[in-house]
Amino acid sequence: MTLIQKARLKSLWVMHFDCGGCNGCDIEVLAALTPKFDVERFGIVNIGDPKQADVMVLTGPVNHRNKRVLRNLYDQVPDPKMVIAVGTCACTGGIFHNCPNILGGVDKVVPVDVYVPGCAARPEQIIDGVVLALKKLAGEAPEEDE
Amino acid sequence: MNTETLIAVNIGLPVVSALASLLLGDRRARAGVVYLTAAVLVVSSLLLYDAGGLELNPGGVFETAVVALDFVLLLYFLYQGFVHRSWQVLALSIAQLIPAAYFEFIVEGAHVEKILVVDSLSILLTLIINIVGSMVVIYALSYMEEHERHLHLERSRQNRFFFYMLLLLGAMNGLVYSNSLYWLYFFWEVTTLCCYELIRHDGTEEAQGNALLALWMGLVGGVAFVAAMFVGYSTVHSIALTELMAAPLSQGLLLVFALAALAAFTKSAQFPFHGWLLGAMVAPTPVSALLHSSTMVNAGVYMLLRIAPAIQGTTLTYMVAFMGAVTFTVTAVLAIRQRVSKRILAFSTIGNLGLIILCIGLNTGLSYSAALILLTFHSVAKGLLFMGAGVVENKIGSRDIEDWEGLLGRLPVTSAVMIVGMVSMFLPPFGMLLGKWVAVDAVASTPLLYGLPLVFLVVLGSGATTFYYAKWLGYLTVLPNGAKRITERLETPYKVALYTLLGVNVLISVGAALVISNIVNPIMAASYTPQMSTPMYGVDLGFTSFPVLPLWAAGAAVLLAGSWLAKRKGGAITTPYLGGENVADKEVTFMTTADSEVAASVSGLFLASSIDEEWLDKLAVYLGTAIIVVLFIAEAI
Amino acid sequence: MDYTATLISAMLALVTPLIGGLLMGVDRKLTARMQERVGPPLVQPFYDVLKLWGKVPMIASGLQPVLAFGYLGFAFVAAGLVTFRQDLLLVLFVTGMADICLTVAAFNAKSPYSYLGGRRELLAMLSYEPVMLLAYIAIFLVTGSFTIRGIYEYGAPLLLVLPAALVALEIVLVIEMKKSPFDVSGSGHAHQELVRGVFTEFSGYTMALVELGHWTKLATALMILSLFWAPSPVIGGAISLAMFFVALMVDNLYPRLTWQRMLRTTWTVGFALILLNVAALAVGGVIR
Repeated sequence: MTLIQKARLKSLWVMHFDCGGCNGCDIEVLAALTPKFDVERFGIVNIGDPKQADVMVLTGPVNHRNKRVLRNLYDQVPDPKMVIAVGTCACTGGIFHNCPNILGGVDKVVPVDVYVPGCAARPEQIIDGVVLALKKLAGEAPEEDE
Repeated sequence: MNTETLIAVNIGLPVVSALASLLLGDRRARAGVVYLTAAVLVVSSLLLYDAGGLELNPGGVFETAVVALDFVLLLYFLYQGFVHRSWQVLALSIAQLIPAAYFEFIVEGAHVEKILVVDSLSILLTLIINIVGSMVVIYALSYMEEHERHLHLERSRQNRFFFYMLLLLGAMNGLVYSNSLYWLYFFWEVTTLCCYELIRHDGTEEAQGNALLALWMGLVGGVAFVAAMFVGYSTVHSIALTELMAAPLSQGLLLVFALAALAAFTKSAQFPFHGWLLGAMVAPTPVSALLHSSTMVNAGVYMLLRIAPAIQGTTLTYMVAFMGAVTFTVTAVLAIRQRVSKRILAFSTIGNLGLIILCIGLNTGLSYSAALILLTFHSVAKGLLFMGAGVVENKIGSRDIEDWEGLLGRLPVTSAVMIVGMVSMFLPPFGMLLGKWVAVDAVASTPLLYGLPLVFLVVLGSGATTFYYAKWLGYLTVLPNGAKRITERLETPYKVALYTLLGVNVLISVGAALVISNIVNPIMAASYTPQMSTPMYGVDLGFTSFPVLPLWAAGAAVLLAGSWLAKRKGGAITTPYLGGENVADKEVTFMTTADSEVAASVSGLFLASSIDEEWLDKLAVYLGTAIIVVLFIAEAI
Repeated sequence: MDYTATLISAMLALVTPLIGGLLMGVDRKLTARMQERVGPPLVQPFYDVLKLWGKVPMIASGLQPVLAFGYLGFAFVAAGLVTFRQDLLLVLFVTGMADICLTVAAFNAKSPYSYLGGRRELLAMLSYEPVMLLAYIAIFLVTGSFTIRGIYEYGAPLLLVLPAALVALEIVLVIEMKKSPFDVSGSGHAHQELVRGVFTEFSGYTMALVELGHWTKLATALMILSLFWAPSPVIGGAISLAMFFVALMVDNLYPRLTWQRMLRTTWTVGFALILLNVAALAVGGVIR
């Protein structure tokens, strides 16, 4: 593994975007960033600027309005990048699945690397999801029951 | 070429060319005259540097001519005051006319043996006047064409314009060669005439009003000169500068120098006389570039440089320093508030002249050198900036710097010239920064009682200067929405003037050590112990040094390496971050919640709530007047 | 010519970014500990920069990478001036040149956040430059020279003579490190006010260059602070690290304030302290 590849695993800058959910998952994501869970020890920092991010953490379902915004932000994140869909709404549209304005999960607009279901997904699960993303970045296959 | 011929050319040729421009109707012929005059003046100033100094009496016929022309001039001012109902001009003209007549005909004190004296200081000023001045006059050829087109003038008034511009060059040259106070006063008044006529060139009411302001403030200087002649003659029985400087310092002589300083303040627009230079910005830009930044205002500084060696250690010299310091700081702060490009440059000019005058006033070897360095580099850079600002104004039709946003994309060449000009005003490794560095060293070396308040003022002014120039730099380099692309076509005169002066600017900054060793140090040698040595790498002051060439090398290396890296790594140009709401194909426009498109805009950092312009202006007038009053009272005690 | 001294100076100048990076790592670790967290490893900043370098390049304008390199390059030149014991005023002006490169790079990106950040950066410069200048002049008044060599030749530790200058330079350090309460132009970590302020439009290798430049400037600033006990490099180093720690503490204690407050505080406290210190020295006869 080259030095830069190793560095990518040790330094993951997160851009968190809520496509229109109830904020339940957002609070859990932010909780993961607080001292109690302290993801900064893995080099994970919540950077608000897509241009400097490696991972997009998305919550909430996609609707006709925010699909444009989501796509725009996704395009502004430089490669190599990962997308983590947190919460059932981001994965499949959740309980809003059949609403007329909802397109579905975020994978309708951007390619998703890791799905973290739950309503709301708990911080431990979110951290698990990030670790999976890192493994994917490192090129390892996921284990059986993840 | 001997010195006599050269100074005859320097004074005489511009006068002849001026008359030719006035009488020639054909545009092309006039342009030819201007180009020829410019070329000859540049060459002659370089030859003069080579030829060296001299003392000369041009003969009785010239003396008579000067006296006669002087009275014609004063009568003309009187007439202007009458026609335009300006009681200040009337009063000040009479205040000169009667005493001057008395002095000339009754006291008969105006005769001096050594009328013209050329020394290293004169040569430096000649180089500045002729090189910068010639470029500005060439620049004016294109500028006035565009200017008159904008104004839809049926009949061109350029012959009148170039008459006064060229006349000014001749007058300035004569001024710096004059040893006789009378001749100096005469040439001084001619520059005031040119200033008056050029400011009111466009003929609007505003222009006329501002021209009268400049006229009466200039006439204050004239009155001061006449008074100085009286006092000087009664004290040492001569009005020759050489004799006034050589005589032992008495109260009368101090009064002469104080009056000369007063005249210098009016010409260099120090407080409380700064108003005229700000008002003069209504004039066409070549006027601002020539008179009000790089040439005419240097006359005041020149006067102070002349008399400085004689007043070392006096209260007078410290009051001069104080005046310069206060002007420097207050104008730097006021410049932050300005939106009009020429006003920013005007405040910057007044401020930098203040800094130069501060250095002259401190009157030590180090500070005098600082003043000379600052004078040289400032004249070149400021002339360049004013010319660039004029081109921009003509091409985009606005003087408001908020309209200058994105200029780098719209007018790349002109912007590049402006950017280099601005950078050269306040960043290393350019010469202005070197001068400021020496100035800080000089101010810090003064005895603490005077030094500490001056240091404080300099530090404040320096910070403010960085701020407003960097802010302006930002306006040029920002890339806003859909700015209309302009075909940038610079006419030949613009190109000649801008590129030459840009080249000179960079050249003298890179060769700063040579400028100091060959031009500054010889001037110093007469009355001060030169403290600046110039080893190969830069400038050494003994207790510290400025590695000029290594810094230039480092700067060039950084730029080259950066460009190489940028080319190697490349990268696609992306849209800016606007919260994801970018509107496709429209640069910096975003979609609001109401589904409307709004162009993002950021404007003005003019600190209006923190800086009260009116209050500061009033402070300037009161403080300036107070300093001058104290200056004169201190001589009486 | 003393070849060993030159070699040491050159090597020291070259490693300033590395020193700066380690200091940033210490910064994050200590901040974490203050917040009862574990925090990232000390070499985290190096991982960050390497990762940034490996991103696919994405630039805001043609000039941006050149100016980003200029920021790093001129910061290096300033570091070199310090390690070669040159004139302090020059260090200030060359650092100013680096800052202008960064600011113009921020302006040149067509982004309102970047533009605002650049403007705030100019206000930060307006706040701290005069105070730094005055501090260096105070040092000149005491040692008789503006050069760092002069401080070493002066012999006595500056801390005993000019404590006010150290306090003033501490405020300047807080602003330069972009720490609360004066992180108005581009805070260390994301915030809702300016996105990333002056750094918004930098990404990938340009961001890496800016980070490296920031480290170089940090190390240079601390090297200058260590001059306050020139006779002993150990005590000098301890002083600069102590100042660094104070800046961290202040960052964790204070929220961000407005730029007007930054300008006012820096100027009143900075100027008043230094002027009083110099006046006291003049009365006491230490400086004539």
